[in-house]
Amino acid sequence: MAGHPPLTRPAHMPGDAAADSDAMIRVDQAGEYGATRIYAGQLAVLGNRHPFAREIARMAEQEQRHLDVFNRLVAERRVRPTALQPIWHVAGFALGAATALIGPRAAMACTVAVETEIHRHYSEQRAALAGGGDPELAAHVADFQAEELEHRDTALEHEAEKAPLYPLLSFGVRAACRLAIAASKRI
Amino acid sequence: MTDALPSPSLLAPADMTLDELRPLLVEAMLKHVPFDGWSDKAAEAAGADLGLPAGRARLVFPDGAADMVGTYIDFADARMEAALAALDLPARKIRDRITLAVRTRLEQAAFEREAVRRALGVLGQPQNLGRSARTLWRTADAMWRAAGDTATDYNHYSKRLILGGVYASTLLIWLDDESEGLADTWSFLDRRIGDVMRFEKTKAQWLGGGDHMPSLSRFLGRLRYPAV
Repeated sequence: MAGHPPLTRPAHMPGDAAADSDAMIRVDQAGEYGATRIYAGQLAVLGNRHPFAREIARMAEQEQRHLDVFNRLVAERRVRPTALQPIWHVAGFALGAATALIGPRAAMACTVAVETEIHRHYSEQRAALAGGGDPELAAHVADFQAEELEHRDTALEHEAEKAPLYPLLSFGVRAACRLAIAASKRI
Repeated sequence: MTDALPSPSLLAPADMTLDELRPLLVEAMLKHVPFDGWSDKAAEAAGADLGLPAGRARLVFPDGAADMVGTYIDFADARMEAALAALDLPARKIRDRITLAVRTRLEQAAFEREAVRRALGVLGQPQNLGRSARTLWRTADAMWRAAGDTATDYNHYSKRLILGGVYASTLLIWLDDESEGLADTWSFLDRRIGDVMRFEKTKAQWLGGGDHMPSLSRFLGRLRYPAV
């Protein structure tokens, strides 16, 4: 016997069930919608009166582009969109506005937490899509994941970690994101 | 839904798989259902018409009548979608799209009224209520997709709910409509759609006003970040 077998198995093995593209598109569309609402909430509070506003507006624009792609996929592939949209509409905006009211660094800390979770979520999807069943979705996910990572780094450069109670804030927002992702996959 | 009508197979019905047979058999059943209901007897008679060996038709619908009715509605959905695709609905006004969708659906079933009546009898049984709600939702979904609906928010749900209600009530009028050219059905449909349009107009007026409301978050933002 030469060495141990690998302890973790690859995410996708031959013979596994194909990835459920519909649920993926549903949760991605919901996630990007939530992201645009968070940025909208931050921008409503920051207006154009803060030096960070321009950077946030740029990231919001990219999220809107992601959302447009998933909206198109929902229509083209006849996917049922999430039924929780009214909740994300309010909750996303409230999260963005609340963190921006705490301060510009807290707003950036919120971005770091959200984008970290989205990055993790997209990594899982890429692994599940690695079987090659849905190249179009896989390409979009890879493309968007790179931009979400860039958002996280931008937010870190803007002193996110100096926000008041950063660990607590980060933990809370990440837990909320995980909950939202789990819910949007199913509902 | 879309795969309810598989591409025309070159196989003879007797050589097809049970899944391939479903839409074919259900279509052949339509002329037997008025006499035998959605029953194994009607399925066997249709199977004989298609040249199936005795007993094969019974295997196609293992869940019995509810299964047959569900397949019939999937078949009708696919047939309707094919006809609506040819009408290019997205180019028309929203009111015409929906009217045409419901009208097309009912006109295609013009010679199947008795089968539809019996299908409603099956769907109305308590154990089939879940299935009947799902099939109604799927039909409304097929109509909205054909109408070019791209809503990804809660409107996705409200649209299907409202259209399902309009379609179901119009279907009941249509079942017993003895008027010339089904005039009663079409005027009933027009009135129901008129109701919906009025409701949507009021809703838009209420929601559209929100843009001019003072914004709490903007106000707080101005306090938190005074103009530099």
